Amino acid sequence: MLTAEDVVVQFDGLTAIGNVSLSMGRHEVFGLIGPNGAGKTTLVNCLTGFQVPSSGRILLGGEETAGWKSERFRKAGIGRTFQAGRLFREMTVVENVEVTGVGLGLTRRQARAQAMDLLEWVGIAGKAETVAGTLPYTDERRVGMARALMLGPAFVLLDEPAAGMSDAECDDLMHLVAAIPRIFTCGVLLIEHNMRVVMGVCDRIHVLDGGRTIAEGTPQEIQRNETVIAAYLGGEA
Amino acid sequence: MIGFLQNLIDALSLGSLYALAALGIGLLFGILRLTNFAHGDFISFGAYALIVPSLEVTATKFIGNWPWYLTLPAIAALVVLLALLSDFLVFRKLRQASAPTLMIASFAVGYVIQNVILMVYGARPKAIDVWSSLQQQVVIGELRVPQLQLVTIGITIVLMLGLSLFLNRTSYGVQMRAAAEDFRMARYLGVKANFVIGLAFAISGLLAAMVSLLFVSQTGTLSYVMGVPLMLFAFIATVIGGMGSLIGAVIGGFAVGFVSVMCQAYLPEELRSFRDAFVFAIVIAVLIFRPSGLIPTKALVQRV
Amino acid sequence: MNSPLVMRQIREWWPVLSLAAIVTLVTAIAIWMGGDEIKVTLTEMLIRMTVVIATYLFIGNSGILSFGHIGFMCIGAYAAGWATCNPAWKQLMLTGLPAFLQENEYPFLLAVGGGGLLAAIVALIFGAAVIRLSGIAASIATFAFLAIVNSVYSNWDSVTAGTSSIIGIPQVVGPWEALAFALVSMVVAYVFQQSRYGLMLKASRDDEVAAKASAIDIVKVRLIAFVASAFLVGVGGALYGHFLGVLTVDIFYMGLTFVTLSMLVVGGIGSLFGAVSGVLIVTLIVQVLRAFEAGFKIGGATVALPQGSQEIGLGVIMALILLFRPSGLTKSREVPWPFTTRDARPTAAEQAQPAE
Repeated sequence: MLTAEDVVVQFDGLTAIGNVSLSMGRHEVFGLIGPNGAGKTTLVNCLTGFQVPSSGRILLGGEETAGWKSERFRKAGIGRTFQAGRLFREMTVVENVEVTGVGLGLTRRQARAQAMDLLEWVGIAGKAETVAGTLPYTDERRVGMARALMLGPAFVLLDEPAAGMSDAECDDLMHLVAAIPRIFTCGVLLIEHNMRVVMGVCDRIHVLDGGRTIAEGTPQEIQRNETVIAAYLGGEA
Repeated sequence: MIGFLQNLIDALSLGSLYALAALGIGLLFGILRLTNFAHGDFISFGAYALIVPSLEVTATKFIGNWPWYLTLPAIAALVVLLALLSDFLVFRKLRQASAPTLMIASFAVGYVIQNVILMVYGARPKAIDVWSSLQQQVVIGELRVPQLQLVTIGITIVLMLGLSLFLNRTSYGVQMRAAAEDFRMARYLGVKANFVIGLAFAISGLLAAMVSLLFVSQTGTLSYVMGVPLMLFAFIATVIGGMGSLIGAVIGGFAVGFVSVMCQAYLPEELRSFRDAFVFAIVIAVLIFRPSGLIPTKALVQRV
Repeated sequence: MNSPLVMRQIREWWPVLSLAAIVTLVTAIAIWMGGDEIKVTLTEMLIRMTVVIATYLFIGNSGILSFGHIGFMCIGAYAAGWATCNPAWKQLMLTGLPAFLQENEYPFLLAVGGGGLLAAIVALIFGAAVIRLSGIAASIATFAFLAIVNSVYSNWDSVTAGTSSIIGIPQVVGPWEALAFALVSMVVAYVFQQSRYGLMLKASRDDEVAAKASAIDIVKVRLIAFVASAFLVGVGGALYGHFLGVLTVDIFYMGLTFVTLSMLVVGGIGSLFGAVSGVLIVTLIVQVLRAFEAGFKIGGATVALPQGSQEIGLGVIMALILLFRPSGLTKSREVPWPFTTRDARPTAAEQAQPAE
């Protein structure tokens, strides 16, 4: 279980996240939604070791993570993609994924084989030798996903993987994301704005607004929740 | 005790020099992410502008002969002009360039300036007498302090206060600080980018000119590579102080000055010529424990 | 004859094979055509090539600029010189040298290896200290390293003869020897950039944050490259000493740093092709400028550029390249495979066209 307990994050007096708690397992797709500026990125930075909470705890498998650097989170099994993509632009697609395997200690040959398998699964094996910097936006996301999964993580954060995708591409993505917990025994923490994807693939959803939790539940529950609707539409609860 | 106080004043004086140089560098780094390896050569240029171009070993003063209230602004104007020129010719077109590219570009600019000085003035160091009357000592209690050291410290304090007032109280200064914090946002809010940058180069040039005059008064020599050690120590100062922080640059400058003078004073005789190496070694030791420097700033923090 | 396996091997090694062939050809032609002066220029160029390739190994793959590599060249040069120069002279002039160096004379290759080794050891110590710094701070630290080496070597009279020279180093390095080492340097650089370490290093260059998230130990990988690079640069220094026959400290400072950096910048800082072509091109440019400085006789008068034009000219050219072609003349690409085949990898430019 990956748990955030009463997490508060403050920047220069501004409270980005105030008292948020959540918990997710390795068998589920857990969605994190909220209007822009709600604090989603800050929260996941805490959960993946890129941000230290001002107060509160992050627990991984029951273990305290206070004082851990991001490398330790990664070694403990947290993987992530980045909203900005952050692919290795001068390297080919397969090299982007292969290098993670190499970093873990595999030989180049082993890493490459595993990388190709992952690229195959993600559906981009045909572009294996393409230079990553030239990829269209949506392909970048797939490569990022493959690169994160190469770590064999226990939890993977997907940061807006559906951005810029057409409906057909979204359907494809949803199949992949839904399958991750089953195939990789890896819990998926999904930040996404595309409601079609979120409602279609998440087991549970946590809603943030203004740095605070306003709801948590199944997709059906969230869709009917008046506070959530108000937050998105700006009306009154 | 007296010896120690004497050394302390030496350290303050040298530290002031390094602090001024470090400020000039830190300013450009904070706003532009430009590590200006040409800064030392701006300083050299300021010093050489005092004399008539010639290859003679003895220097014939030209601007250097004018009264101080004319020499000072004249040299300052020349160095500022040089700084603005290098921005206009080279750095302006490199606004979006990567840090390594900027570094090499400034190295090239500095190299060219250095070699122009070499071509015009020759390679041999020249003796020059500028405000040497300031070498006279002032007696304070049991201390004997050369006037020049007090002048150096005084000028540094004045300049730092002036800069601080400028940055905090004037509209241009505030714009400059905004640009240093977040360049794109500042531009979006209406800050005229090139003007602010030009201002930064001008101030940097002004600081370099002051350093050159103080340095030349103190050492009495001109050499086409005179700016290099100053530049290096100034950079070391900004790295220790925390790159991107002006206060850090000043603190770093004083720290380096302090270490340098203490090494000079207290190292055993045989090791004294290795003083510089010791200073660098101590700096590296500090960096091992505080890699972001003593006062880290946002300039270096990466957003995930 | 053209079995697919052989073709594949050639294709895989093409970037370095092509460069080796070009450089060997240039060397052979120059030796055949020219006299002693050409041989001297050629040898110096090839030694610089070894140093520039070694420098590229670190800078090109890590993306961190180093201004200190000439410091390692100095260390290697002096170490090798200590090993091979006349014991009698050493005992008289270099009283601070340890006995095993002072009393003996070692064979050339051993000395070269020793030079590289000392440089590598210093790199390990210095690198371990500064490799955790941000890229910019690290670059400044390498500049300081250059200054430290210069200062220490200028002052440590008992070991380096201070500001005077070490003389009597056997001049055994001519163009062919230099060529051999340049080729070795090329192969080492290529093997490195194709290896797992090269791959990880390039990832850290492209995106440091993502590299850390991808299980790459950035510190370790950078340090390995730094030490390997320093070793080869030290070897280059050792060669230089055995080419000049005489060593002084001041030749290993700003001037040489600038020239070698300009070679990387002009050629292309991110590829082996860039490093090698940069050396060839800049050497040519410098020769031309030197000729202009020497002057031509037009009518009865000599028309010449003033002394120092070489350096200024090179500086201006460097600035121009940075302004208009920052990735260098080769755009930091390797030598392209000249034949198109069915599975030819499209270049980045071609791929940038909107496809599907």
